[in-house]
Amino acid sequence: MKSIVGLFLVLAILVIIPAADYVFAAGAEPGEYLDRRVVIWNLFYRLMAVAFVVGTVVSGTMIWQCWRFRESHPKAKPTPYEKEGVW
Amino acid sequence: MKKKEYGRKMGGHSNWPEWIYVGIVIALMLWVGAEAWNVERLVEHVPEGAEVIKVTGQQWFWTFEHEDGTKEIGELHVEKGKAYKFEITAKDVNHSFNIHDYVVLMDAIPGRVNTVWFAPTDVGEHDIQCREYCGLIHYNMRGTLYVEEPSS
Amino acid sequence: MVLELQKPRPIWQIMFSTHHTDVGLLYLITSMSFLFMGGALALAIRAELFLPGAQIIGDAMTFNRIFTVHGTTLIFLFIIPFASAVGNYFVPIMVRYKDMAYPKLNAIAFWMIPPAGALIWLGFADFTWYATPPYSIISAPGPAADMWIFGLKILGISSVLGAINFVVTILKCKHPDMSIGQVPLLAWSFLSSSLIILVAIPTFAAALLMLLTDRLGVTGFFNPAMGGDPIAYAHLFWFTFHPEVYVLVIPAIGMMYEIIPRFSRRPIFSYNSGVFAFVLLSIVGFSSWAHHMYATGMSFTEKTVFMVGTLAAVPASAMHVFNFIATMWNGRIRFATPMMWAVGGIALFFSAGAGGVANAAMPLDFTTHDTYWVVGHFHLFVMGTIAFGSIGYFYYMFPYVTGRMYNETMGKVHFVMSFIGTILVFFTQHVLGLYGMPRRIFDYPPIPEWIAMNQIVTVGAMIIGVSMAIFLGNMIYSSAKGKPVDAHDPFELGGKYYYPFEQKNPHH
Repeated sequence: MKSIVGLFLVLAILVIIPAADYVFAAGAEPGEYLDRRVVIWNLFYRLMAVAFVVGTVVSGTMIWQCWRFRESHPKAKPTPYEKEGVW
Repeated sequence: MKKKEYGRKMGGHSNWPEWIYVGIVIALMLWVGAEAWNVERLVEHVPEGAEVIKVTGQQWFWTFEHEDGTKEIGELHVEKGKAYKFEITAKDVNHSFNIHDYVVLMDAIPGRVNTVWFAPTDVGEHDIQCREYCGLIHYNMRGTLYVEEPSS
Repeated sequence: MVLELQKPRPIWQIMFSTHHTDVGLLYLITSMSFLFMGGALALAIRAELFLPGAQIIGDAMTFNRIFTVHGTTLIFLFIIPFASAVGNYFVPIMVRYKDMAYPKLNAIAFWMIPPAGALIWLGFADFTWYATPPYSIISAPGPAADMWIFGLKILGISSVLGAINFVVTILKCKHPDMSIGQVPLLAWSFLSSSLIILVAIPTFAAALLMLLTDRLGVTGFFNPAMGGDPIAYAHLFWFTFHPEVYVLVIPAIGMMYEIIPRFSRRPIFSYNSGVFAFVLLSIVGFSSWAHHMYATGMSFTEKTVFMVGTLAAVPASAMHVFNFIATMWNGRIRFATPMMWAVGGIALFFSAGAGGVANAAMPLDFTTHDTYWVVGHFHLFVMGTIAFGSIGYFYYMFPYVTGRMYNETMGKVHFVMSFIGTILVFFTQHVLGLYGMPRRIFDYPPIPEWIAMNQIVTVGAMIIGVSMAIFLGNMIYSSAKGKPVDAHDPFELGGKYYYPFEQKNPHH
């Protein structure tokens, strides 16, 4: 247990603190000359691409399971809990 | 009461799918955070030599003051290809300075000076609007941005 | 709890009762009345925005007053009292106690709501539900603004009293045989949201007092002309109201945790992860308030900290979605009306959450902040998730409360119309926001895209309006003339549920 604490201490000093420092304090230097429209909308479209992929997976799963596990489905069978009568 | 009667514990099944799922979610959030952080870093830092325009919001119009002291009300003329830094404040209540076409947005708050910068790339006209509720004519607190060819 | 309405009692017996189901019934009727009142205001807003220019609502001031009261009503007078109604009915039974811990306090907490609602509606303030200074100090007309402040003050006290009651009932009054790990998830959701209320509300209570004295001109906490800082109000406000969104959403998730296993005929996939996610959410919820304020000129460091805090809340919410999907898996699901509302609510909960992640990414704030994107985003939560969970639960508890069944066909029509309407309204509003339309505007320039999308939104809102009228008719008719049900199993699912639904605590 002690060695784990020591390991995290070393890791924190070596990696986490400088990284956090960099993340929070970045950019006192003058900025680049760029078109903010391009940069920001690009980020938006990248996030949306991922969001729509994840959304398709999640909503697809939900639609499929609503179709498959409805009680009127031909293959629907009682769940194991129904025998006990408590769930 | 016996545990079984409540019948809603783990029921003997393992929970590893949930941990994998949570791992994926955390990884996605780390990615979102890193990307957003990087973009914010890029757009937030004003390049050297940006021309300062003082923007003042008040009920219900915008006033602009250029570096050379010329003032404009309700419209703003800038030149294509230059970087501009807006120093935004308000006289009475909170407003929010917004040029949606150039993704410029910063609140105008009395007693504070907020900054945001942009570099127009094309000649044209764009709407300036107020995005923070500021009372009766908030809906019509509008102006126009004119991007013109460089004069020199 | 069963058959509250079957044995007719004089109305004053219910009104002056301190019994938890009577107070629950009062909460239920009050919150539902305010749902329809607030919804009517929403329809007025949408009718006005159907076309650019002034049509239905004569002037901007009236419009501003309408959207302010619309927001205040639905958040503070519908969602929160509705959750209290469910909590009052179910929490004592779930923890197997005869009543709430402090019955009189419970009745007092309820009776603070009607005067507060009267103050808000008779005043009809215009400074948005956020009451942002300096506008609310120097510009907002009184006495409407002052009445709003007093109304909110009373509502704050009411929800703190209710929260104390829930915490004590669950922690101290649960049956001695029952460990905290056996308390049903609905009760857990009330425990977590009540703890959030206790920590979060006092901040806003202080801010409201400061706002009032600022308006009276004796102080200048938020008035820049007197050396105050409007941003301080923003911090105080959001320190309360970002956790508050979890106060709103957690009980709705808890209600889904009741409905989904019951109608899937399977127990919750993982009770432990449900509890874990509730507790985690109620802690992490406090680390993200300033993501509402990216545009107020915060430093890069502040923005980064609050973005991380916001993203940290996502895994906990995602665990709930996983739990719901895994519970339904391999079940034998009966899609009665409550189940349809719950499943629709999960789908919209996911969409709202995905939009929330985009909001948290700080540069996207430049495109979405204070536009209709934000309106669409939080309405997906409050309407798509919280109202869907609540209405589903309303259908679910209806036979237990009245002893009669609602009309199932009408319930399904209500769901389908509301679901389509919600998607039309709030998904379109996201896109409208990306086109740059600011929120809280009475009129807009005739930009073709804006007009087209506003018309889609208005049509969707009208669909929801019609479905709500069907809902109202169904409830009124069925509570008097509906088919009597067997209270042991009104949905004919078979089996026994894990706590005694048929129990009725004796009146005292």
